[in-house]
Amino acid sequence: MINIAKEDHIANEYPDGTGKQALLRIRNLCRTYIMGEVRVPALQNVSFDIGREDPEFVAIMGKSGSGKSTLLHQLGLLDTPTSGEIIIGGENVLKMSEAQKARFRLERFGYVFQEYALLPELTALENVYLPAMALGRKKKECFKAAREVLGQVGLGERLDHRPREMSGGEQQRVAIARALINKPDILFADEPAANLDSVSSKQVLELFRKLNREMGLTILMVTHEPEDRNYVDRVIWLKDGELEQHMEMLK
Amino acid sequence: MLSDHKLALFLAQKSIIKGNKGTLGLTIFIMSLVFVNSVFVSSLFLGLTNTINDQIINTVYGTVVIEPKKDEKFIDDVYSLKQKISRVPGVKGVSAQYIMGSVMSYKDKNGAWSVYSINPDDEVTVTTTHNFIIDGEYLSKLDENDILLGKEIAGGYGGDDESRSLGGVKTGDSIDVLFNNGVKRTYRVKGIFGVNFQRSDNIAYISQKEMTSVTGMEDKASQILIRTEDVGNEGQFIKQFLELGINEKIKPWQDYASMVKEITQSFDIISMLISGIGLFVAGVTIFIIIYMNTISKRRQIGISRAVGIKESVIINSYFIQALFIVMSGIIVGLLIVFYIVAPWFIAHPLDFPMGPVSLLILPENVFINAISLVIAASAAGLIPSMMAVRETIIESMWGD
Repeated sequence: MINIAKEDHIANEYPDGTGKQALLRIRNLCRTYIMGEVRVPALQNVSFDIGREDPEFVAIMGKSGSGKSTLLHQLGLLDTPTSGEIIIGGENVLKMSEAQKARFRLERFGYVFQEYALLPELTALENVYLPAMALGRKKKECFKAAREVLGQVGLGERLDHRPREMSGGEQQRVAIARALINKPDILFADEPAANLDSVSSKQVLELFRKLNREMGLTILMVTHEPEDRNYVDRVIWLKDGELEQHMEMLK
Repeated sequence: MLSDHKLALFLAQKSIIKGNKGTLGLTIFIMSLVFVNSVFVSSLFLGLTNTINDQIINTVYGTVVIEPKKDEKFIDDVYSLKQKISRVPGVKGVSAQYIMGSVMSYKDKNGAWSVYSINPDDEVTVTTTHNFIIDGEYLSKLDENDILLGKEIAGGYGGDDESRSLGGVKTGDSIDVLFNNGVKRTYRVKGIFGVNFQRSDNIAYISQKEMTSVTGMEDKASQILIRTEDVGNEGQFIKQFLELGINEKIKPWQDYASMVKEITQSFDIISMLISGIGLFVAGVTIFIIIYMNTISKRRQIGISRAVGIKESVIINSYFIQALFIVMSGIIVGLLIVFYIVAPWFIAHPLDFPMGPVSLLILPENVFINAISLVIAASAAGLIPSMMAVRETIIESMWGD
């Protein structure tokens, strides 16, 4: 893989007209926070497509306060944009009810957060099989799938450990395993390596790349580490809540 | 749907198992105290009214009472009437009483009391006064110059109103009795009884034979007391007595217990108030516990929702926790009630003017208290969990 960036487009629109439907299409996305009488525009008219060809591993980058996490939250249906469209697999997800969104998140999305976001009362195995259980799968099936996916992230021996008994890197891999248990279409990762040492950070990013390449998983990752660009297919740069540029990496 | 319940149960179970055991134990204990309190109060009041009812039946009226016809002072042909009544299946005993007002004097003390004439052999089949002789002996059929006094008349036996008594009459003492018809007699006190029911302990008994000599009337009675085998089916017996052609007034014992009705109503109100306060305390406790739980697990709730767990599952998981706490409290409360409180009160009944009072624990009463507690606590547990999922996921996960 060649890690030199090729500037592809510096516009709000990712090239269209190929006839292929993108997995994720965002149009004129705006998110404005209202704090008392002050309106704070966090995202302004952001539009792009993801996953038009092969499953992509995309980084969302920008300075602190540029709207990276806000964008990820809108795309991951964790927050509701003020205006705009999010089309996933041809479906306008913003028209869904909260219950439908919850189901959609469960079936189609996986999440990895900076602070691992595991449930401290549950073991690694329980944390991972929880989303599978929520999907209504049989307990045995959930256990089997959770064991498998924990094995894939290298934690096959740590099934019964609770989060506080694990290192940061291990906890983040449990979070990744949880995100993968329901075989999602898209994995959202919000600075997944920010709290990790360099070794763990590398492991996580390599794991993401592997998941993208070998399992065909589309990954959207917010990061502020310039070297993380080495692992991704494309970088979406944000500045002051606006799309600054797309940077496609040479594979 | 079933999988949602399973998931809610799983989350609740984990939260309970991995949560703070001390807080959980204390909350369960508070619930058990609330339950014990409400069961205790209502059972005590039930015990009180039950004691009054028992005393009315056992020491005053039996279960059915026959009174003279309207505008007549006495029941006539008492002997044949008693025979007729005795033949009705289910009638355990029949006792005719002639009641006359009197003024009794002993040394420098005197007072007005009613004197009842009885056939002791009949009376023991209806009332239980003969079992409560605290000094001397019960009357016998042939006694002529003997009188049996209630302890409130005799005085000196721990009555409720000693100042109105004769000031300490003992068995063997002589007292003067001036009957309402002007006849004056001196009687030897044969015995003193105390059933611990003021109404009964203010009665004096003499034999029928003696009363006949006082009144000069035979085969007459002021009332006939009937004791049936069971309490509660007086209506059926009254119907049968009417079918026998008895024209006198026939009343069930409840007609004489208007005081009990009023007391019962008052007790019900007090019981409801105390139980209501208890339920409020239980509700507030559960609310605080679940609220603190949702506050401390705010981020976890956000995470769960983010990964796709339904809001209803999260609400249900807290509802199940509240239900677990209250059900455990009820179980502990039941153990306290049936293994500590009830045995203690059976062994040490409370001394009330109407007699020794123990708890009357009725299954339906326990059930109502349990259900009320479950409803109050569950509702109180639902509110904070619903509040918790009203936040946006972002606020839950990263909010202040």
